[in-house]
Amino acid sequence: MTAARATWSTLTDPLVRQNPVTLQILGICSALAVTTTLATAVTMSVALTIVLTLSAGLVSAIRRHIPGTIRLIVQIVIVASLVIVIDQVLQAYFAEISRALSVYVGLITTNCLVLGRTEAFARHNPPFPAMIDAFGNGLGYSLVLVTIGGLRELFGKGELFGRTILPLADAGGWFTPLSLMLLAPSAFFLLGLLVWAVRTILPEQSEAREHTPPPSTEPAE
Amino acid sequence: MTRGMWTRETVALMLLAAYLPLALFWAWHGGAEALGRFALAAVIVAVWHVVFLLARAQAPSLSGMIVALAVAMLAPEDLGVIRLALGLSFGVVLGELVFGGWGRNVVHPATVTLSFLGFGFPAFAWPGFDAPVAWAAIPAALIGIATGTMPAAVLAGAAGLGAAALLLGAVPQAVLFAACIVLVLLVADPVASAATTPGRWVNGALYAALVILFARGWAGAAPAQIAVSAALLTSLVAPLLDEAALALWTARRKGRHGRT
Repeated sequence: MTAARATWSTLTDPLVRQNPVTLQILGICSALAVTTTLATAVTMSVALTIVLTLSAGLVSAIRRHIPGTIRLIVQIVIVASLVIVIDQVLQAYFAEISRALSVYVGLITTNCLVLGRTEAFARHNPPFPAMIDAFGNGLGYSLVLVTIGGLRELFGKGELFGRTILPLADAGGWFTPLSLMLLAPSAFFLLGLLVWAVRTILPEQSEAREHTPPPSTEPAE
Repeated sequence: MTRGMWTRETVALMLLAAYLPLALFWAWHGGAEALGRFALAAVIVAVWHVVFLLARAQAPSLSGMIVALAVAMLAPEDLGVIRLALGLSFGVVLGELVFGGWGRNVVHPATVTLSFLGFGFPAFAWPGFDAPVAWAAIPAALIGIATGTMPAAVLAGAAGLGAAALLLGAVPQAVLFAACIVLVLLVADPVASAATTPGRWVNGALYAALVILFARGWAGAAPAQIAVSAALLTSLVAPLLDEAALALWTARRKGRHGRT
């Protein structure tokens, strides 16, 4: 019973409470780069979740045989091989999306999220919990990516998955697209607003203050 | 400036007084439409100040009127209420209020708003400025310098380089007018500009240099867009200029005294 609950919390914690992107600010490089449309965001999420889960399982399975001094190299080799497989599959079956994602699938290799989970969790836990944890983190990453990707495509082009949701003013509708949404800074803004919203709802996530403000110089009334 | 009559609101009032000639000439030329835009912008800014007063107990500031004036003067034309409200909310909240209100912001909220509107809705035309409105920037700068609320070194740095460029004929007149107004409204802001004297000189000169660069190399940009983009980049660089000025000062002092 408790084991099942522990597994369940390992899976669901990274969704919001321990979300890798909004709490730990990991893997945002790709999160910012591929979220111009929902289709690329979903593809990237699926690719990263698969790579993360499989690599966590593999690293965890051989965790007692990895020499501590070269563990990063071993982990990167495992992750890189999986990434190459995923990249080839995408190129074979989803050529258009693969072109849109350009190098970012390849860069999953160096995604902090993947190395972070294999290094912090998979190296110390048996394969099944490690894969559950990795899958949960992949889902948490996907949640953020799909949210931001959806917002950017909806307000930047008035579309979702390339289908028109808000009719554009150019085509006789009423919606004027916000071109800023298709530029990179908007991903920063949206991610910042998302982090702000999450930390307002869950105040325990906010970090300690770096400075204490000076005492007010205005007399109290 | 924390004792006596010099509080934050005094500075805001003095700045407003400095902008008065500019605002009057602009309102005279723009008529009722211009006043309507200013009123709309002022209401939106005021609403956000009140929201943050209630939610975070941040004192509202008259500087909001400066933001409203700058946005009403420089925002792209015919945006409509919703787009203006969206851009202004973004600029005022994310540019100023989340940092703790006027005085703690990094970038002028009006600069953020105008950049947001400019990049977000590129289809709308930027406003142009007539000669009398642009000339009104000079009394505004003089009052600002006389009351000590506008950094004189920023204005002097920009004016020096600007005059040199004018003599060489490097910038068209329309760009010069827009650049003067933006210099007074956005760049020579006491909060968003550099805080050390050498930093301020470089700050002003950098703004002028960026305007010249954009005017010569950026094809298809409107004069106001050139000036606002230069103001945005300049205010982002301002903390770095201060840092460099302080590091230079520390190094000189070390050389003189053998210790910091």
